[in-house]
Amino acid sequence: MRIRSSWLVAALTGASMLLAASPVASGVASAAKSPIKIGVTVPLSGSYASAGIDILNGAKLAVAKINGQGGVLGHPIQLIPADDACDAQTAAQAAQNLVAQGVVAVAGGYCSSASLPESKVFHAQGDLPFVLDASTNPQLTEQGYNDIFRTIGRDDEQGPFAANFIANFLHAKKVVVLDDNSTYAVGLQQDTVKALKKLHVNVTVEHLTPGQSDYTSVLTQINQLHPQVLYYTGYYTEMGLLLKQARQLNYKFTMIGGDATNDPTVLKTAGAAANGFMITTAPLAQFLGTASGYLQKYHQRFHAAPGPYSVYEYDAIQVLAQAMKNAHSTKPKAVDAALLKIKNFRGLTGRFSFTRQGDRTPAVYITLKVLKGKFTAFEELNPAGKWVPVPR
Amino acid sequence: MSVFVQYLVNGLTIGSFYALVALGYTMIYGIIRLINFAHGDLFMVGAFAGWFVVGIAAGMHLPVAVQLLLALLIAMLAVGLLAMGIERVAYQPLLKASRLSILITALGVSLALENGAMIAFGAGFDTFPPNILPLSGFQFLGAQVGDVQLAMFVLSVVLMVGLYLFVQYTPVGTAMRALSFDQDAARLMGINVEGVVLITFLLGGSLAAASGVMMGLYYTQINFMMGFLMGLRAFTAAVLGGIGNIPGAMVGGLLIGVLQSLAAGYISSQWQDVIVFAVLILVLVFKPTGIFGERVVERM
Repeated sequence: MRIRSSWLVAALTGASMLLAASPVASGVASAAKSPIKIGVTVPLSGSYASAGIDILNGAKLAVAKINGQGGVLGHPIQLIPADDACDAQTAAQAAQNLVAQGVVAVAGGYCSSASLPESKVFHAQGDLPFVLDASTNPQLTEQGYNDIFRTIGRDDEQGPFAANFIANFLHAKKVVVLDDNSTYAVGLQQDTVKALKKLHVNVTVEHLTPGQSDYTSVLTQINQLHPQVLYYTGYYTEMGLLLKQARQLNYKFTMIGGDATNDPTVLKTAGAAANGFMITTAPLAQFLGTASGYLQKYHQRFHAAPGPYSVYEYDAIQVLAQAMKNAHSTKPKAVDAALLKIKNFRGLTGRFSFTRQGDRTPAVYITLKVLKGKFTAFEELNPAGKWVPVPR
Repeated sequence: MSVFVQYLVNGLTIGSFYALVALGYTMIYGIIRLINFAHGDLFMVGAFAGWFVVGIAAGMHLPVAVQLLLALLIAMLAVGLLAMGIERVAYQPLLKASRLSILITALGVSLALENGAMIAFGAGFDTFPPNILPLSGFQFLGAQVGDVQLAMFVLSVVLMVGLYLFVQYTPVGTAMRALSFDQDAARLMGINVEGVVLITFLLGGSLAAASGVMMGLYYTQINFMMGFLMGLRAFTAAVLGGIGNIPGAMVGGLLIGVLQSLAAGYISSQWQDVIVFAVLILVLVFKPTGIFGERVVERM
């Protein structure tokens, strides 16, 4: 009991300090007006803390921009961060905490497993709008809630994108899709195979057991099928080994990885064998032509690279602010309805709208290619459905 | 046919790494009847030691061949000494205690090594310089054989044959074999039992380290948990060949590598462990002492 009460006191003190500090932080012009509180649920402790801090920084940049232009409906925006530690239980408490502090909307999320319980809390508390920036699990927007949205694609949208790239850009006729038996990788494998079959590509599925060092037998077996392309839907640990061993075996098929292979470990493991390797992924800020100003501002203020998802959080805050303006209200249900009505919102990550479920449309994916030992932006789909080089 | 040869080549490469580690299991079992569960982790420490040395040597701009040689020798020596230290501190006081105490201690040493490495080197992957070894190779009966694969296989065989000759033809080797027959009788014959046991650990540890460095160089990625799977497979290899029997460990290691490769190639990689262990069970049903354990298990 003692611990609990002291914790409460600390929380209350913290909250009151935030309240006291907010008029100073939000500028003189709107000092008299009460701030609009927007919650940010991200992991700020534990192994994913650095990703959470990046995302929170993206939110801070968006709020600075909005408040600099006079805020929303004459009120400044105030961010209230909540640490979900990428853990379902902590997340539910963090969400309750935000509700208790009177937030009118939430923009955030990193781990889908934490965003899921959060979304249930926000939904139960009067349909608080919840705009996700990085949680990609399809389940999140399939709960039948009218208050959940995301500025990033879903896991099941990457498969068709990859299939399109393989069939229409690489013109491959024979493809092997390899997974590592994990839930995520098998899901991506199935989505890709389904889309490839629709595009009349001859496709074979193979599986490997992750955690080994030697994949030469799997590769030899795959090479027997004489594919032009091998698409691996698993994680970066195995990808580096696959690339290196395929080169040692002198196999010539083109290798592509899903977004879970987007990690420098691949380059460190495979070395020269990684050259020419391609990845399908949601674009990082440095690969978005529209985000160059953002990159610069981020560096100026935080002296660090913006991480993969902070720019999606920036768009999440911006689209929330836009919806509040459109609705002339910060009432949760009015903002939910306004978010649904948003069309072709001009975000740093491109133009987008939301589907009825709240998923981003069109989803944005690009391909990367390893050139001279570095990931470089390669091709993307233009709105007309044609493959074009990513502008740099 | 060419594909079969390819699976064989792949299997022999990984099998030679297993065999080197299996030798340590078998020697230590042969002498003090201990299944040294920490042995797989000595392999892991060896890989990290080699990685550490390569990092320093590369910083000093030494030629690649010197880097590799230094990494191999220093790792073998360091892990050999570590194995001796472990024997002295953790096992020797328990040699006369019940079998179970020393077995549990071995598990404890294994956990200590794994978590120690995690604290020292982090939980992620570390990588050897990926381009340090050439990717070149040649065609053999329609299969692609890497120059590095061949070199490592040859080095493993040289180490194994060296060990066999050492045990068969040197006074210390003779003492080791005497110990495996009857420790008390050996002591009565004036053999320094404690010293010979320590030398056994030195040899076992350095062979595991050699395997660790080679495997690290070959696959580039190393991790604090890499010894677990290796330990399991090498132990299986030692049992398959007949634990306590040196040629048995070599053959067992190569056999497990090849079986695994064929199973992954012709059936599915998901089934490779199922098949390897099914073969192990079948062999033990019909030949409980393993392939080479024909006389008594105590034979070395």
